Amino acid sequence: MIQVINGLVYGSFLYLLAVGLVLIFGLRRVTNFAHGSLFMVGAYIAYAVAAYLGFWGGLVISVMVLAALGVLLDRFVFRPLAREDAVVTLLVTFGLLFVLEDAVRTIWGKDYLTVPPPPLLSGVIPMFGSTFPVYRLFVVAVALAVAAGLALWLRYSKVGLYVRAASVDPVTTGMQGVDTDRLSALVVAIGTGLAGLSGTIAGPLLALSPSMGAFIIIDCFVVVVTGGLSSFTGAFVAALLIGQVHNLGIVYVPELASMLPLAIMTLVLLLRPRGLAGAGR
Amino acid sequence: MSALPSTPATARRRVPAIAVVAFIVAVAAGLLVPAVVSSQLALTLMTQAVITAVLATGIGFLMRQCGLTSFGHAAFFGIAAYTVALNGKFGVLPTELAIIAAILLPAALAFVAGLGIVRMPALAFSMLTLAVAQAFYEIMLRWRELANGDDGMAVRLPSQLFGLDIETFQQPGSMFSVCWIVLVVTVAGLWLLSRSRFGLLTVAIRENEERARFIGYETVVPRALVYALSAAVAAVAGVLFVLYNAFVTPGTLYWSLSGEGIVMAVIGGAHAVWGPALGSVIFFLLKDAAGDLTEHWPAIIGATLIVVTVLVPRGISGLIIALFQKLKGGRR
Repeated sequence: MIQVINGLVYGSFLYLLAVGLVLIFGLRRVTNFAHGSLFMVGAYIAYAVAAYLGFWGGLVISVMVLAALGVLLDRFVFRPLAREDAVVTLLVTFGLLFVLEDAVRTIWGKDYLTVPPPPLLSGVIPMFGSTFPVYRLFVVAVALAVAAGLALWLRYSKVGLYVRAASVDPVTTGMQGVDTDRLSALVVAIGTGLAGLSGTIAGPLLALSPSMGAFIIIDCFVVVVTGGLSSFTGAFVAALLIGQVHNLGIVYVPELASMLPLAIMTLVLLLRPRGLAGAGR
Repeated sequence: MSALPSTPATARRRVPAIAVVAFIVAVAAGLLVPAVVSSQLALTLMTQAVITAVLATGIGFLMRQCGLTSFGHAAFFGIAAYTVALNGKFGVLPTELAIIAAILLPAALAFVAGLGIVRMPALAFSMLTLAVAQAFYEIMLRWRELANGDDGMAVRLPSQLFGLDIETFQQPGSMFSVCWIVLVVTVAGLWLLSRSRFGLLTVAIRENEERARFIGYETVVPRALVYALSAAVAAVAGVLFVLYNAFVTPGTLYWSLSGEGIVMAVIGGAHAVWGPALGSVIFFLLKDAAGDLTEHWPAIIGATLIVVTVLVPRGISGLIIALFQKLKGGRR
């Protein structure tokens, strides 16, 4: 049972990152290969700031810095390349991944760093006959809150309506008078801001290393493809599923654990070629 | 990305004389280099460059014919290397046969997987190939009993291979020639294939899959075949690697190797079959020139990738072809 909750924790991470990818894909029809690296940069910024302002200060600053980076990314990478093939953006963000990893390695070194959880959340609580760190539950709560917040925002706000419209068809939405460039800057900022958020909360849970981003982006890709590229609900379900499978796999069949998420994905794609939330054929 | 190949291919099917000359010169050069270059270090570097050039050629061929970017070709490279290595450990097949199996196995895997994944959008294809390759890496990393995990395993090779002394494959001087000739033959073969009916068909599918289907062509199997072929080329590189080093680590499966191959293919320009190989040479020259800066090598290579992708989308080979056509004086 504890393992199931651990799977939930990992799934929560995957969701926070994957939903950023989904948001960006919806608006720009591109994949941000550097998303995992932004997650990693977010984690390091939070680490650096936490030394002065504590965990919560680190959280706020990291999210803000990453959101600002997102605006820059949209303005100077996604927008100029919008007319090119999507693979061009993929390659450019792939290049960015190398640059960011090297920058972080230069500043903070390549050794593992750890961040203590904030005092408020550092205890354990009894659960199913053993104890469980409060912090892990906090991670799940954050993911659920983000999921709920995003769902409400997309469903009920006017901007949310635009975002949904644009992710169905950016061109038509633009023709209806929606400024998709501005919208995209906002959406990319939210996506990268979430990368900052998950990077920050990853600090006390995972060890920080410059390669942590490249490591997690792969599971994220699996989640996004399984969920059906541009679906928010699909990403949510897929993240929880993959998180669960990943974790149980590591506990019970460590040698083959890495194959299990792929097996799930293959199964899903065989049954529904466009992913879990794929609309028809 | 979607321009037609620069030669209207129906116009001349005959192999131009210059290509034959280039082929002969290239083979001769490969045999002469070790006699001219005496530095063992330089030869070692060049051998590595040529092995990676074979990998990049495989990746580039898939880009060229199908417009698909595989982020997982290290898997085929590594599977081939591990096939030879594990065969040495368990002694199932004679090494010559194991080498053939090491090339056919990744090709077969790619063909079967390809039937499913070449249909996907190009982005999903890239993401999936990465994920699958990484899964193989993790298996080799974690399954210590099989192949000694992260520490890698030494590969037992016989003293004679294909009638040649094993030293031939392990001395940089002779191995450079072997790898070079493999590279030249591979590029030439793929180049001929790209001009064939099959090559033209796959380019047509790349340009407009729906239209090709409407004209009455089957569009999935040809793309899966190209994928299998490019996997086989990556596997050849893996075999060369394992023969040369007689050692294999999970690093041969790691995504950064696929990444390097892509970077080479993009820098060299995949529109020409020989572009990725050229890119590989430039890559290693850059790396050598970077000298003290090699600590920041990832950033250099990342920045180069960004600059080339944005400013020179056809890569160095594209520039060379454009220059060549200009020199010919506007005949077309």
